[in-house]
Amino acid sequence: MVKKLLMGNEAFAQAALEAGVNVVAGYPGTPSSELVETVAKLHAAGSAHDVYVEWSTNEAMALEVTAAASYAGARALFTCKNVGMNVASDPLMSLNYVGVNGGMVLFVADDPGPISSQTEQDTRRYAAFAKVPVLDPATPDQGFAMMKAAFELSERHHTPVIVRPTTRINHASTYFEVQEETHGRALPQEPFEGGPKYVILPVRAYAAHKEVNERLDRMASVDFVSDPQFNVFNPMFEYVPDDLVEPKLGILCGGVSTAYAREALAMLQQRASAAGMQLPAYRFMQVGTPYPFPKDLVSVFMQGLTDVLVIEEQDSFLEDQLNALSGERNVILNVYGKLTGHALTRGENSVDDCLERLAQFLGVYEESVASSFQRYVAPESEPLPVRPPTLCAGCPHRGSFYALKKALGKREAVLCGDIGCYTLGSAAPLKAVETCLCMGAGITMAQGFSVVKPGAKCIGIVGDSTFFASGLPGLTNAVYNQHDITVVVLDNATTAMTGAQPHPGTGITLMGPKHEGISIPGIFEACGFKKVLTANPLDLEASVAAAKEAIDFEGPSALVFVSPCIQLTKPGKPVTIDPDICTGCKKCITSIGCPGIAFSADAAGPKSGSRGQAYVDPSLCNGCTLCTQVCPFHAIKKEVCDD
Amino acid sequence: MINILLAGVGGQGTVLAAKVLAQAAQEKGWQVRTAETIGMSQRGGSVTSHVRMGDGDEEVFAPLIANGCAQMIIAFEPAEAARSLQFLAPGGIIVCAKSAMQPVTVALSGSAYHPEVLLDALRDQLVDGRRLVVVDDVELVQELGNRKALNTLLLACAIKAGEGVLPLSLDDLRAAITACVKERFVPLNLRAIDIVEAK
Repeated sequence: MVKKLLMGNEAFAQAALEAGVNVVAGYPGTPSSELVETVAKLHAAGSAHDVYVEWSTNEAMALEVTAAASYAGARALFTCKNVGMNVASDPLMSLNYVGVNGGMVLFVADDPGPISSQTEQDTRRYAAFAKVPVLDPATPDQGFAMMKAAFELSERHHTPVIVRPTTRINHASTYFEVQEETHGRALPQEPFEGGPKYVILPVRAYAAHKEVNERLDRMASVDFVSDPQFNVFNPMFEYVPDDLVEPKLGILCGGVSTAYAREALAMLQQRASAAGMQLPAYRFMQVGTPYPFPKDLVSVFMQGLTDVLVIEEQDSFLEDQLNALSGERNVILNVYGKLTGHALTRGENSVDDCLERLAQFLGVYEESVASSFQRYVAPESEPLPVRPPTLCAGCPHRGSFYALKKALGKREAVLCGDIGCYTLGSAAPLKAVETCLCMGAGITMAQGFSVVKPGAKCIGIVGDSTFFASGLPGLTNAVYNQHDITVVVLDNATTAMTGAQPHPGTGITLMGPKHEGISIPGIFEACGFKKVLTANPLDLEASVAAAKEAIDFEGPSALVFVSPCIQLTKPGKPVTIDPDICTGCKKCITSIGCPGIAFSADAAGPKSGSRGQAYVDPSLCNGCTLCTQVCPFHAIKKEVCDD
Repeated sequence: MINILLAGVGGQGTVLAAKVLAQAAQEKGWQVRTAETIGMSQRGGSVTSHVRMGDGDEEVFAPLIANGCAQMIIAFEPAEAARSLQFLAPGGIIVCAKSAMQPVTVALSGSAYHPEVLLDALRDQLVDGRRLVVVDDVELVQELGNRKALNTLLLACAIKAGEGVLPLSLDDLRAAITACVKERFVPLNLRAIDIVEAK
């Protein structure tokens, strides 16, 4: 054993490896991606033995690959982010009816806030909808234990099991005692025998539904209640200042809010005692197994209570369950939470928010909520600059978007974007992404627009990884229905937004040597696109010409912009702006908005008068030279290499 | 409990700095939790790393620092220092690099961003024993000859400025750097600490 600082996702990977996982597959998505990367890293380093790991083309592929592995007796782990569950939901619903053999765990990372997602959807709801058990950790440490237990639970009941951390657990680090080497569990040697059990026809589904219901009952009434391997995830404790008083107040928590609430309670206790007061008696419980709801344990929690505050993120899942349970068991209980306006109904919880709500609930608000913090107040003349995420300096997408806009000119157009770094192309000054719905939607939404707006140039913009993940059916739809659209692929040779994972176009896998990548232009041609062009987005003139040609083509056309992500390449020399030539016109800023170029109102030169001048931040500029092609006065110079 | 907030712009190296601090805490036998901003904000947006060390008996529950609870803010950029002020505890210190990174939004909107004006305004507002220490990062980087170790320069400045507030020494930092920075970058980072120590 060795002690290591691990980020939540690294710890989840380590736990799965220590549980003897044989097959790991997922699709990248923040905040889930580091799990698969960690398994791949440890496998490549030679410390994780007998494990297969892949980035699948999308979440449904990953779930189907891992499901089969489990059928065949392997321990299997599927990973995705919250919205990835939508893509994987089709196989999941039936898989749960069929049941599994080897332990099958679905690691689904939710994203309250949301911080990096399209929605705040709650995977506990998915679990209940699909009738699959879900474990919900409060800390990375607890998540580590849950991951191991999930494989056991899965095998005990032949059920897939979801482990659902949230961003603040995925991306929080702490020290763990870990095994230095791990081994996948020995695989069964006998051949897989399929047959009626695995063929989900209606008659099988009807029988399977009974199995599903029965195992959920057993988990809720036995495993989660009396098996120490699982009931440890539903901890309960009491704070009783005076031994004679039974608590009347209860606090029920789920997920990372458990940690926020416990910290807030510790702060309240300190502040109350500083004010010479005591907190009233209360009972505290975390529900770490929200579905199936551990009714008998929560009944113990409810005993003697009159009021309960429920603290959880995303949906009112625990609150709903508690309301239902108190009704079912004829317990008169005041339940406070999201449904009653006593908790945030969107976004993240925090220690600060919990502190206020708990102080109110425990009746010590006046004594304990002191505003001991201050916020910066910006002078009117100097507003605090906002700093939204932006395409990196030198990002090739910038050139692609600018060329597209130039090629379109004043023509009516609809630019349908997609999910990835290039969603940031929606921001000023590029404003080249007008819609973004879900993975792969850009290509198909352009088709819908082309039907209703026949006069407009309808363009679907998609990144290379998204293209493979869910863009392909949109291509066949365009050709089949002869939609007059242009599909623009921004091929930067990686899945950039989630941290540069390989994809089918790269030919790089997590296991073996690099093979030939799948050609994106080749796919367009195979699908029947009659106009397929490629261009280098850092060559502005050629890119504009190619974009014009593709857009002017009648019928489905394609343009692939090819230039690697700057995270993958060595930066070039920074460009410089000649102060003798810069007129201060700001064209470089207002056209492409590169973070490597800033403006100084105080700078002056012979051509700029009092307008100020643009300057390059050499620590950011990566020498892509797009700006040198944009400046109308040729004031921006490519550094001449001295070597 | 010791809470340190690192605030900067995506790509500036706050994540590694948080790791180094966690390592230093671990070597002292303290419980430690850190939390990072990973994802969209890494693309040039505002990012924070939270480092929480249980140096006493208190248990560290939450991954994030609550408002008014950070003894130290290490800011890699002036606007990010101001944005994070709410986390600073009474008596706490902000150590901030003086160079600004101008966001595209500023150049586009035509609004002003003068880091020295901002830092003056920030200093003037601080109450309850809070302090601002401005680091001349340009000078330090010049002396070191490499901006890549800006995070270590700032960590060293913070430990120096935090005497009496942070129970960590420059030698603790040296040990932590040696333990968790890639071997070929260790000499550069150790030199960064030496430069700060000699100031």
